[in-house]
Parts: sequence; structure tokens; C-alpha cells
Amino acid sequence: MAIHERSLVDPERVLRKERLVIDGVDVSGDWNLIILPRVIQDYDLDFLNEVLEQPEGKTILQCYQCSYCTASCPVHNYWDERYNPRHFIHLARLGLIDELQKRADVMWRCVSCHKCTHRCPKGVLVEEVLKAILRVMAKRGVIEEYPSKKFDKFFLESVYEYGRIEDGELLFGWIERQGYQVVKDPILKKPIPFVGGVPEWLKQLAAKPLKSMNIGFLVLNAKHMLFHPKTKNWNRFKQVLRKVMEEEGVFAH
Amino acid sequence: MAVAQVRKPPMGGIGKRVAYYPGCSLEGAARAYDVSFRIVAKELGLELDYLEDYNCCGAMETKNVTFWGTMLLNARNMSLARRQGHGTIVAPCNGCSFALQRAEYFLETDKSVFERINALLKEGGVDPLSEIPHTYHILEWLYHEAGPEKVKERTKKPLKGLKVANYYGCLYTRPHFYARTYSHGGTEEQERPRMRETADDDEHPYYMEALLEAAGATNVEFEPMHTQCCGGPHSLSDEQVSEKFVMMILQTAKRNGADIIATECPLCHASLEMYRHRLMMKGVPDVDVPAAYFTQLMGLAFGYSAGDVKLKDNLSDPLPVLKKFGLA
Repeated sequence: MAIHERSLVDPERVLRKERLVIDGVDVSGDWNLIILPRVIQDYDLDFLNEVLEQPEGKTILQCYQCSYCTASCPVHNYWDERYNPRHFIHLARLGLIDELQKRADVMWRCVSCHKCTHRCPKGVLVEEVLKAILRVMAKRGVIEEYPSKKFDKFFLESVYEYGRIEDGELLFGWIERQGYQVVKDPILKKPIPFVGGVPEWLKQLAAKPLKSMNIGFLVLNAKHMLFHPKTKNWNRFKQVLRKVMEEEGVFAH
Repeated sequence: MAVAQVRKPPMGGIGKRVAYYPGCSLEGAARAYDVSFRIVAKELGLELDYLEDYNCCGAMETKNVTFWGTMLLNARNMSLARRQGHGTIVAPCNGCSFALQRAEYFLETDKSVFERINALLKEGGVDPLSEIPHTYHILEWLYHEAGPEKVKERTKKPLKGLKVANYYGCLYTRPHFYARTYSHGGTEEQERPRMRETADDDEHPYYMEALLEAAGATNVEFEPMHTQCCGGPHSLSDEQVSEKFVMMILQTAKRNGADIIATECPLCHASLEMYRHRLMMKGVPDVDVPAAYFTQLMGLAFGYSAGDVKLKDNLSDPLPVLKKFGLA
């Protein structure tokens, strides 16, 4: 018997012998494959309710498990077949948190390309639902801090502080958080792109406008890196933003 | 979910006078896109009204952390557009147009969201929204308000012989809930109220191809990579996946005979250029196709110089390729 979505079965539950002869009958390979049965008891019904409370999670109940999302997903197709949006929705609805936790290492890998949401025949906002599931998991502490969340928060900090983002700060700030040694000027404490322990590819890319004597580009970006572009009258709006995000618990986790 | 009365989306044209939301990137690292777009719009007789004092749309990142915060950020921009007297916003970035269209969707379909956001806007010292402006990508706008025929008319120096791979990226036509494109999924009753005539084909977009063909370029076959993700919001935080996706995109373009990749989103553009450099450092074959914004190519066809459309800003250096065709 072939297993169609083998990635859904834990390897330790699959018994299979490459060479096996029983009573003179050759049953090698898949002919002797057995999947060990299991008993599931730990359904957590509150989990689904918590997902439904999220504004993006409301469409989760419309899903009828056709797997069009999984078939479209580039992360599933080109990276890791354990990333399976249909199955994540299934698990979230059953409330099988242990099973979700087993997949925590791939669950954050969604690149937000929205093929799943676009193609869903039932009108489920798949990408948004998955993000709602992740958020509930994070609230319950069943998923550790993952790279994309760190970046999302870093991005949000910049938006929250100034109202606008700045590419150079984002890039070098992130590189610095990854543990690279970024050299900063002594007065304004802003990163200097061409020296220090930044990765080689970034040094080479940053040097390109310098080599081609692209003065306008250099001046503009240096100006933005030194003086962060800011939205006018941002402070009053920022307070409202802070209030809203505090209610959502953004600062707590 | 309390469903508010869904407004009928505008059919036919988009409107010549619109609010222009450039987004943070276009004021800094992607200034070439901004400059060349303004040139193209001016040349085609279209008027842009710069959205004063806008804030970041939150892109794909903030929405994963805060729903209400992201709604609020976009509602503020919408309110600014209304204050300037516009019912239409155009954005040059896939991320920006996605974020604004997403806010539009939730404000339109969920009355409780609309009411709460309006109360919060008032608190923050911004006019509350009476009407929700529609958002379009500049590509749709250029196609509908100028169109290939006008581009052909204005072309002084056709991009003759230049083979272009048109890269649209993810969020230009997706998801249909927000972008209001047609989808083959769902029932008719579900789709019709939000679908609009001006939208590009969802799985086989062709607006950029049509515009560049009118400017004299040859388009190469680029399906299905023309709407494949470049890594997007994970291009810095998940390098392995992004690198693989970009490799697939660049190799497909090269192997289909493209000289250059035309882009329409500053994030996709930056991601392609960044990973192109890294892949070339690693010695991966067939990844050396340079990238240029489609407006830069159109600007060249309209007779502007390489300096006018800031081709030097492109880190993937498309100048040698364009020089070969006598375009720069």
C-alpha cells in the first residue's frame, strides 16, 4: 500500500522491511508495510475558539479539506513537504496541539505569496488563518521565537517609531541582530556599510554605487540613514497605535 | 461576521487624476522606480498627486504581529487621500497595494472593523473615513488610462530585439479577495460583487507584456515563474528558501532566452538583485540576468537617457546588456 501523504505519518510509526519472505511468499518492500495505530485523546477544543477570536481566523470553519492550498504552495512544493497548510488547518480544528508543535520548525516558513488564499474554492483566507494559528500557538507558548517573527517585530518597531521604514537601517539592523559585527560611526551611531564584519556579499553590493560614482544615490541613502525619514505629527497617532497594540498583547510576547 | 453593504467596484476606467502613494522604498533605495515612473506618467499625459505625509503601509510584516495596528496604518493613508480629494490611490509596490487593498477588504466587509477604525482615527487626529478609496497597482493604471496604443505612439526608440522576461511577483493579482481579480474558484455569487473589469488576468497576467511589447520589446515565455514568489517578506529572515526561489526565477528567465527581467515591485527587485549577486558568488550557473523596472525600460523607449531613468541605481547592472542593443 502506498502512502499518499507520507510526510503526515511519523517515521517511527511506519514498519517496513526491505526483504521479507513469509511461508515462501515474497512480501518485500511495501507489501509488508504496516502503520502502527494510535489513540488520540488530547483534543483541546478551546484552541479553535481562540483562532476564531482572531479577526483573520474567522474563515477557518469554511474549509472542506480539498488540499488545493497545499497543492499550490511553493514552500510545500519546492522546499519541504512537511509544510502542509491543509493539514495545519485540520489539526487546529481538532485541537491537536501536540501535533502542531511537532511541526513548529516548518510552520513559520510561509512566504505570504497568497496562492492558497487566491485559489481556495471555499473562500478561506488560508494565509491569514495560518498566521492566526501561529499567533495562538505563540500565545500559548507552544512555538518558540522563530526568525520571521523576529524580523516582523523589528520591522514593526521601525514603523511604530518613525511612521516610515528606511531600507538601509532595516538591512544593517537585521544583519547586526544576526550576530555580525557592524561598525558604527562614533557620533551618530549609524552603521558604516563597507567595513567591519558584515557579510562579503553585502560589502560588495554596498560598494557598487561607490564604484560607479552614483553620487545622487549615495547622498540620498546616506541622508536617510543619518536622518531617518519621519511622518509629520506622528506622535499623536503613535499613542493610538500603542493603545491598540497593547490590547492585542503585541508588547507582551 | 457582520457583512456591510458591499459597494459596487468602479467598472471601466480608473480615473486620470489619482493620489500617488509611493511607499517608503521609492524614496530611498528604489528611487529609480519613482523617477522613471514619473517620467512615464508625464510622457503619457497622466497626472499624479503625491500623497503628502503618508506613513508606512506595514507591508507583509506588521500584519503578522498586529491586525488592528495594520488596519490603522492603512486607514490613515486612505484618510489622507480623501482629504486631498481622491477616491483612488495608485501604489507602485506590490506590498503597498496589497496592504491597502487588504484594509479596504476588511473595512468593507466587516462593519465592526469600519466603526472601530473610524473611532480610532478620530482619536489619532485624522479625519475619519466616510468613503473607502480604492487602490490599484500602477501597472493597471498605466494600462487602462494610457494603454499600449498610446505607448506605441510615444515610443521614439523602440526596444528592438530586447528579450524581456516579465516578472509580476505574488501580490499583483493575488488574492482575489483583496485585488478583486477574477478567480476560477468559488461560486459566482461569491465573486461577482468584488470583481472588477480593470483587473489583470489572475493566473496569466499580461499588462506588463502588452506595454513593453508596444514599446518594441520581445517577451519571452516565463510561465509559471512570472508569479512565483521571490521570498518576499522572508527575503532577509529565511535566506535558504528565498535563495532557492530566486534561483528558480533567474534560471528560468535565462534558459528561456531573456536578456533582462522587467520588475514592478521594489521588494521583488531588491530580492532578485541581492540573491543574484549571492548566487553568482557561489558559482551557480545561469543566474546572471539583470533586472530593471518596467518603467525604466519604457522611459528608455520614450527617448530618455540611461541617466534620466537612473539605470546606475540597479545593482544588477543592466547597462552592458542595454548597450548591446543600442538603448543606453
